[in-house]
Formats: sequence, structure tokens, C-alpha cells
Amino acid sequence: MKQRISGLGVIKFLIYVFFILFLILPLLAVFLVSFTNEPVNLFGSLVNLEQLKLTIEQFKNATLDNFKSIFSRGHYFQGLLNSLYLSFIVSIWVLIICLPIAYGIARTKMPFKRTISALSTIPLIMPTFISAFAFIIMFGRAGWVTYIYNALGGEGMLIDPYSMTGIALVQIFFFFPYALWPMVAAFRVTDVSLEEASRNMGSKSWLTFVTVTFPLALPGMLSTALVIFAVSFSDFGTPIILAPSDLNLIVVDAYREISGFFNWGGAAILTVIMIAVAGFVYWLQNFLVKGRNYDTLSGKPKQVKLIDNKALTIPLTVFSGFVVLIPLLTMGTVILQSFAKTWGRDPLPSGYTLDHYKQIFTSSLGNIQNSLILAGGALIVSVIVATFVSYFVVRHRSTTLDFMTTIPLIVPGIAFGIALIQAFNTAPLQLTGTAIILVIAYSIRRLPYMVRSTVGTMRAIKEDIEEAAVNLGASRLTAAVTIVGPLLLPGIAAGSILVFVTVIKETSISILMAPASWAPMSLAIFQNVLRAEYYSAAAMSVILVAIVLILQAIANRLSGGDKT
Amino acid sequence: MGSVVVDNLRKDFDDVTVLRNINLDIKEGEFFALLGPSGCGKTTTMRCIAGFESPTSGTIKIGGKDVVNTPPNRRNAGMVFQSYALFPHMNVFDNVAYSLNIKELRQRNVLKKIGTYTRMLNSKLVKYPKHIEEKVMNILEYVELTEHAKKLTSELSGGQQQRVALARALVMEPEVLLMDEPLSNLDLKLRHTMRNTIRRIQQELKITTIFVTHDQEEAMSMADRIAVMKDGEILQIGTPTDLYSNPETPFIADFVGTSNIIPATVIGEENGLTKVKFGDDQILESSTVTDKKEVQVIIRPENLKVITSDDAQTDNSFEGVVQFATYLGSTVRYDIKMGDQLLVVDTMYESGDSIIKDGSKIKLDVSPERVLLI
Ligand SMILES: Nc1ncnc2c1ncn2[C@@H]1O[C@H](COP(=O)(O)OP(=O)(O)OP(=O)(O)O)[C@@H](O)[C@H]1O
Ligand SMILES: [Mg+2]
Repeated sequence: MKQRISGLGVIKFLIYVFFILFLILPLLAVFLVSFTNEPVNLFGSLVNLEQLKLTIEQFKNATLDNFKSIFSRGHYFQGLLNSLYLSFIVSIWVLIICLPIAYGIARTKMPFKRTISALSTIPLIMPTFISAFAFIIMFGRAGWVTYIYNALGGEGMLIDPYSMTGIALVQIFFFFPYALWPMVAAFRVTDVSLEEASRNMGSKSWLTFVTVTFPLALPGMLSTALVIFAVSFSDFGTPIILAPSDLNLIVVDAYREISGFFNWGGAAILTVIMIAVAGFVYWLQNFLVKGRNYDTLSGKPKQVKLIDNKALTIPLTVFSGFVVLIPLLTMGTVILQSFAKTWGRDPLPSGYTLDHYKQIFTSSLGNIQNSLILAGGALIVSVIVATFVSYFVVRHRSTTLDFMTTIPLIVPGIAFGIALIQAFNTAPLQLTGTAIILVIAYSIRRLPYMVRSTVGTMRAIKEDIEEAAVNLGASRLTAAVTIVGPLLLPGIAAGSILVFVTVIKETSISILMAPASWAPMSLAIFQNVLRAEYYSAAAMSVILVAIVLILQAIANRLSGGDKT
Repeated sequence: MGSVVVDNLRKDFDDVTVLRNINLDIKEGEFFALLGPSGCGKTTTMRCIAGFESPTSGTIKIGGKDVVNTPPNRRNAGMVFQSYALFPHMNVFDNVAYSLNIKELRQRNVLKKIGTYTRMLNSKLVKYPKHIEEKVMNILEYVELTEHAKKLTSELSGGQQQRVALARALVMEPEVLLMDEPLSNLDLKLRHTMRNTIRRIQQELKITTIFVTHDQEEAMSMADRIAVMKDGEILQIGTPTDLYSNPETPFIADFVGTSNIIPATVIGEENGLTKVKFGDDQILESSTVTDKKEVQVIIRPENLKVITSDDAQTDNSFEGVVQFATYLGSTVRYDIKMGDQLLVVDTMYESGDSIIKDGSKIKLDVSPERVLLI
């Protein structure tokens, strides 16, 4: 068969180039840097012979020093251990907290179930660095929680926000929804007939729960715990705000090495380790989920009889209410702060003003604008890439592209940022510090959401419709644009909002990579918090959360409309 | 309109051979059916002709031109898909106009190109030129869908959707029309109506048509010629009557119509008639000449005559026992046991008391010309 150059073939090639250039090579380069201890110019080596010689020379001097230093129980090693410990604690506590709430939602008629469900989405709209910042306003020396605690006779602070405990608490209360809904699903799926059998044999309800319900839901919960582990391990927003200088955490260390000391080798080795840990957790989680799917396949879905025992449901509601109340209070605190004239060691601000908002709309409008433009740019890139990627994944069964779009899911944001900064630091592709690389970084990082959305829609479009178009004379590309494109729109719309929202919330890439002239809202808030300008930070946070909230509402309406 | 010639076509999927040694010579204006059981390779053959599968080896010519290296969008082979494959986001008119839009795209004028592309994405934005409008309305009138032109295809009945698919393929004036089980999604009554519609249109336009089906009745009633396929090979090609009266294999004898197939041994030849023995020493004569020793005797149910009285004159007959009778309107079908074999016999229905009782011993008479040996 003669091979023709088709329009679609050219696009596939360009997409591969995009991924190799902005994802594979930077990750590869950072891996190499962890050996050479100094920047490696891979792109330069491809186009320039001199550079190539230089690079080869670098490799001759490559050492394992960095790897040795990690395992010689030094500074980095401590950081890794601390991070693993934090993620472990957070995932255990999230499981413990979610267990009763999930059971209550899935299996009982607990009062205020809908309110609790609705409130449990609040943490999802708040980026963690805003929650962390709010914890300072609440639990810090001048916080209202501290005031109440002292008024009740306590000494000092109830909890020091600038500590491992503070970080863990923020993560627990703001990551628990990621575990809650999968666990609700796990409780719904487990075979109720087994429980009924147990109850028929005279077993008490609590005994049934311990011996049957819980073990059946266990694999699902384990994989959920791993998700939380990965999210906590990769989280940058909380530690960068709350980690005290004597507490090493790997994400913060990596950030300091690159943006403080320009220690390429150190940053690289930390990046490699972060990716290795995240990759292992991802693999483990996939492994667990695979085994579980068979179980759910064989278990026939049955109507669950909801428990209506007040002695059980009322404590469940009280507990769940307490858990969802904390993020709500956190958000309320930020809102209050943004309207406060001054707010010292008092339960409430001394007075209210719109000055902070006025100030933002006069002097910081640029940040809002930057955020919207950057998110818009990332949106366009990811729509285009995701549309064609899902086409190739579904129609050409391209497992390579499928795999490449899962990489950004695994690689922690800070690690990806370091890889990009390193790779594009010098000519011929000197993009570090430009808005272009920022947009590309955002779009690649959020591409998996988009691809998941469009792949789903793409699978629903039957192939023969496209073949019919080709049969009527259209080239594959024309058929894709005129037939698949319009049919894909709902999937693109749903994915777009998700991408836009998450880019606006994005912390690690923004803080690491955004140049001053393109500072988005998240970077502005971060800098305000560092400068202890809490009022304008709060006002900007409220605007950010409001934008997220509005877009999320639109997305819900869109996806809700699709289902009916 | 063109002829379709397939020469020595072979198709492998990985290391499984799905089609082998396919030879077809379809004439201009012919209505040609590919008939065979599920999984025999009919769809694959058609997809090779349409260009969606590339043959492992062999040639395909449409209108005398070798098309093996022509991409599917340049073959001008209009296809009607089994699922119709209508564009769900377009109305009937836009569906039918699709190929005409594509032809517009092939012109050099860039402005026109952009306009057409826009129209394909949203027909409300750019108007159709007069010649397209006329052509589409003409063909819609032809398939009696004029008043449905602005409807979405999901608002149409199955039969109407079928006609949209047909109109959409016909409007591009294809060299050959390919139809893959186009009637299998319709209910029985509609299927009969559509059979006539398709046949009428095919005759009027004199368009070369390849029609895939696993329903022998459909093939027999519509096609000029039929190719019977099995396991990726063509067993026999012929007109419907040809296949019916001269099946070359027992499979075809059974697949095309119903047949009684009895294994037998040749015991001699006399006056150009072959004598065969089967069952418990039953003997029949056949006008088929064969040099085989072991043969299959093929007799159509309507060619057997039931004889009840012992003394009746019988030249060429054998014995059996009536199992039971099924009344089928104008005919009566008898299931008859002969040794350990079951045979079927169709007779004209005359009156209620002429139906033979279950368990009766009877003789079955058949003229030697109607006894086929394979
Ligand atoms: N893409 C493919 N890859 C592998 N095998 C295939 C592929 N397409 C078809 N086959 C196999 O080729 C054989 C013929 O398939 P084909 O679809 O042509 O049958 P068919 O005669 O149209 O059957 P039906 O009447 O059920 O539509 C089948 O055994 C099928 O499993
Ligand atoms: Mg088929």
C-alpha cells in the first residue's frame, strides 16, 4: 500500500511533537540533570554540534552523588520522610473521617443528608493555599479561634497553623471530598444480600457492619486512601504557606532549590523522587482498582434498604455536620476578612469596608485579567490537543497517546514545573519566564480532564457515521471536523469549564513559573500572604472563588442537561 | 454507472484469513446480491470495495479502473449502511446535501470553500446554491420525503431514515451503490415495501447495485444474480432460478430454499438415468450423470408427490411414514419419516379431509429430472 500524507496524519505528527517537546523531553532532561548536577541542553544538542559535545562532556562527569546524598539521611532524605509521613497521616485521617459520613449518605436516612452533601463540595472550590491562608487568620496568634480558646481559659494557640499539624488539618478538611464520593459509591455497590444474610442469622447491625459491610468496602477504601496520599504528597499550596522553616517537605525543598538557590542538581533529584513516589502510588492504586472491577461486575445492583435508626443517624449527622462546617467557616473567615476594616484579636472585625475590593479593582485588575487570559489560552490549547488526542485514542486505538495524557495526572505540579524551567532555560528554545510556556504548562497539566471528557463523548459517536461521510467524498480530516467536531461539542464544553476552573485555581505552576508581568491571581494572593497583606489577599481570594463557583455552576447545568 | 470486477481478492486480519479467492464480475446496471450466513465475510467484501478495508491481495476495478490504491473518499461508491449512519446533528436536507457540499469544496475558489465549510458546520449561516438545492429536492421527491426535508433524522420513522440514507447515497450519482443489509432493521411489512422501492429505483436509474443480505428470500426476490458465500469463499454465482434448480453443493441447496438431502450410493446407470440406493434398500432414479460413488440426493419439497393407495402407478418412488401435517394456507407441509431421516413435502391444499393422517404409510413419487445428485 502506498502511504499518503493526509491532513490527519500531519496533525497526529504535530501532537506527538507537542508531547515530546513539552512533556517527555523535559522529564527526561530533569532525570539526566539529577546525574550531571548542572543544566542539560537537550534541544541545543539536537541542533548544535558544539552543544552536543558539551552535553556529552557533561555526561562523562555525571555522578551518583545526588542519589547518594538522598539516601545518606541528609536534608533531602528528611524532607522525603516528612512528606511521606504527612501524606500517610492525612490519608488515614481522611479515611476515618469519611467512613461514617459515607456510610450515612449511602446507607441511612440521616437528617440533612442533602445539605451535608452539598456543603461537602465547598473544599473542592477552594485552592489549598487559600484554605491554608484562612487557617492562619483563624488559628494564628490574632485569630478568632485563638481568641475564643483563650476566652475559654486556654493558653497560647489551640493549634499552631505553622506546623505539621496545621498542614495536615488543612489537607484533611480540604481533601476529604475526593475520598467521600468514591467511598459512598463503594458502600452502595457492596452486595447487600450478604448483609441481609448476616442479619437473618441474627447478627446485630453493628456486628454486620464490622464483619460484612466494612470488609466488602475495604478494597475500594484502600484505593481511595491512595488517591488522597497522592493528592497530599503533590499538594504545594498548603505547605508553601504553612511549613515552618525547620520543617522540610519535599515539595517546598524542591521549590526553594530552584527559585532560591538555582541548585539544578538538587531540584532535579527531588523532582525525580517526587515523580517516582507519585508513579508508584498511581500504579498501586490502578492495581487495586483493576481487581475490584470484577467484583462490581458480578455483584448485581440491588435496592438498598436505608437504615432509619435515630440512635445511629443523629450522631452521624452531628459528626458530618462538624466536618463540613470547618471548610464552611474557613470560607466565611476569608469573606469576612475581605470586608474587614481591621480584624485583630477579636471574634469579629472592628468594622466593614469595600476598600479592599476597590483597591483590587484599581491596582490589581491586571492579575484577574492575566488569570482569565492564561486560563483562556490553556483552554484553547487543551481543547485542540484533547479533541485530536481523543480521536486518535478512540479511532486509531493509539495507546501511546493515551499513556502520554495520563502522565500529567501522575507528575506533581511542582515537579512538572521544574522540568519545564530546566528544559527551556536556554536557547534555542528559551521559553522560561514567558507566558507561552506558562500556558503550555497549564494546558498539559489539565489535559487529562479534557481528554477524559472528550474520549467519553467520542466513544459514543459511532464509527460508521464518520465512514459515511468519507464514503460521501469527505477526507478523514473534513469528516472529523464537520461530523465528529459538532457531535463532540458537549464533551468539549464540559471539559473546558473544568480546565478553566482548575487553571485559575492552579498554584504550583503559577508560583513557580509565572513571570511578574503575567502574574495571575493565585500568584498575587500568594505574594500578598507572604507580605502579610491579609485583607487584599482575602478580597482577591473571594473573587477567585466566586469565578470558580460561577463556572462550576454553569458546568453542572451543562452536564445535568446532557443526562436528561 | 460502472461495472465492478473483483479479482482474486484475499483479506487477512492479522493472521486470520477472512476472505479468500473472491472473484466477482458485476455488470453495469446489474442488481447483484451477496448472500451468506452471518460471519461469512459479506460486509468485509463490501468494505473492500468501498475502500474501508485494504485487500491483502487481489484487485478491485470499478468502471474499469483499478481502485485498490484509491482512498475511500475518491471511489464514488455510494454506501447505505446497515445502521443508516445518518448524521444526527443535521436535518434531512443537510444529510442529503453532504456529498454535494464536498464537491463544492473541491473547487479552487477559496471564498467558496470557506462558505461551504461554514455551511457544513451550520447550514443556517450560509445559503445553499441553487443547483444543490434543486438536486437535493429532486432526490427527496424521488424517495417521497419532500415534506420531511427540514426534520432532524431522529424525528423520522425507520423506513423514512432508510430512504434518507438511500437518497444521500444516490445524490452523488455513484458508479456503484453498496447496501449492507439495509432492510434488517425494519419490521416485516416495511421490509416488503422497501424491497419494492429499492428495486424500482434501481431499475429506473439503472444503477449498478451490490446488496448484502443473509436472507435468501430477499436475495431471490430482488437480485439479478446472487453470489452465495460461506466461510470467506464464494460457493456459487448464478441467477435466482439457476441457484434454485442447480445448486452445486448441499449447503446451497439447503440455504437457497428448502431441500431434502439424503446420502446415497450409486448402484448403476441405465438409459441415461443414474440409479441410487439409500435408507433400507430404497431405490431412486435420477437424470443427473455423475462419476461419484457416494452422493447426496437433493429433492425440493414441492417436487415430491404423496401417494396413499398401494396400487397406484409409481415409476420412481420410495416409502415413508407421515409424522405430522402442517397447514400453511395454500399448501400443506408434511414431515415424513424415512428410516431415521426426516423429509419435508409440500402439497397443494385441496380440502380438509384430503389431509393425510399422522402415522399413515405412504409412498413418495418424484420424476428423475427433479432428483439432483451432488
Ligand atoms: N476488523 C476486524 N478484525 C478482525 N476480524 C474481523 C474484523 N472485521 C471482521 N472480522 C471477522 O471477519 C469475519 C467476516 O466478518 P463480516 O463482518 O464480513 O461478516 P458478515 O458476513 O458481514 O456477517 P454478518 O451477516 O453477521 O454481518 C468474521 O469472522 C469477523 O469476526
Ligand atoms: Mg455484515
